[in-house]
Amino acid sequence: MKSRIILVLIFACLSIGMQAQKYITKTGTIEIFSETPMFTIEGINRKVASVINVETGDVVASTLVRSFKFKEALVEEHFNENYIESDKFPKSIFKGKIMNIDKIDFSKDGSYEITFEGKLTIHGTTNYIKEKGNLTIKEGVITVIVDFSVSLKAYKIKVEKSYEDAIKDDILLKIHFDYKPYNKKK
Amino acid sequence: MKKWLKIILIIAVVGIFAGAGTVYYIFNMPHRDVEHEKLAYTIEASMLYSEYSNNEEAGNSKFGNKVIQVSGKIAEISRDAYQVSITLADPMEGVNCALDSITIVDNKAFVESLKENDTITLKGKCDGFDMIMGVVLTRCYIVK
Repeated sequence: MKSRIILVLIFACLSIGMQAQKYITKTGTIEIFSETPMFTIEGINRKVASVINVETGDVVASTLVRSFKFKEALVEEHFNENYIESDKFPKSIFKGKIMNIDKIDFSKDGSYEITFEGKLTIHGTTNYIKEKGNLTIKEGVITVIVDFSVSLKAYKIKVEKSYEDAIKDDILLKIHFDYKPYNKKK
Repeated sequence: MKKWLKIILIIAVVGIFAGAGTVYYIFNMPHRDVEHEKLAYTIEASMLYSEYSNNEEAGNSKFGNKVIQVSGKIAEISRDAYQVSITLADPMEGVNCALDSITIVDNKAFVESLKENDTITLKGKCDGFDMIMGVVLTRCYIVK
């Protein structure tokens, strides 16, 4: 009987420990940005979800490309229909790892430079990426800010000849996640 | 000679106006009017989730990019400086709805009063199915 109680206690402790390992956000943002003398494209998506495991450094982030909003309705239409083809490829996913996770002390406030690598899928095309970013811990919230560029060609996104001067091949992505501890309710 | 010049001038002026008008239209083309668009479907949030989780592709061709009306119990509500997100039915296996900023301004007191377990009906654009968020609707308007 006693051993059973101990077992239950151990499991309870374990599950509490496991809950604290994962952090989640469903309101992350990705801004995309391209600027040429002819044309500036700015889009924002505030419905990006991500889960981070602070023990292993595993990160998953995903979003639906239709959630991107642009200032000009016509740009939004072209983005969905001609470039990203959101009917055919509705989502973008990143699966990877923060490489220097063991250097980060999640028990207290602090700020770190992080290196992460993994597979990024956009427009149905997957590329291996390795980028740097910043991770800040403040009052139990983990904030990750990452800026990097993706090449349209690398993700097989075609730009018509007549627009080649207006749209850069390198598109800047500005990513912002505020993760909170993940507790599965009930 | 003078008549000839006049014609060219008129053509040039008309051309400039037409060109400017086209450019103006392109940059100011109105966004999709989700609020007043005809509903493609009216469905319970839990039903919408199960249709998508059973067959994502079928879900996408049925609901993807369409304006739909969903109702359900609020399982989770998150407010930050930029947006209000309401998850219906279940926090992980439900329908995640981002409210349009216009509806937040128009229904300020009502949006502030919303809490978990309230029942609500929303109308929005269906963006698809995400492994973490569930079914995602953006530009949602409050129906009741």
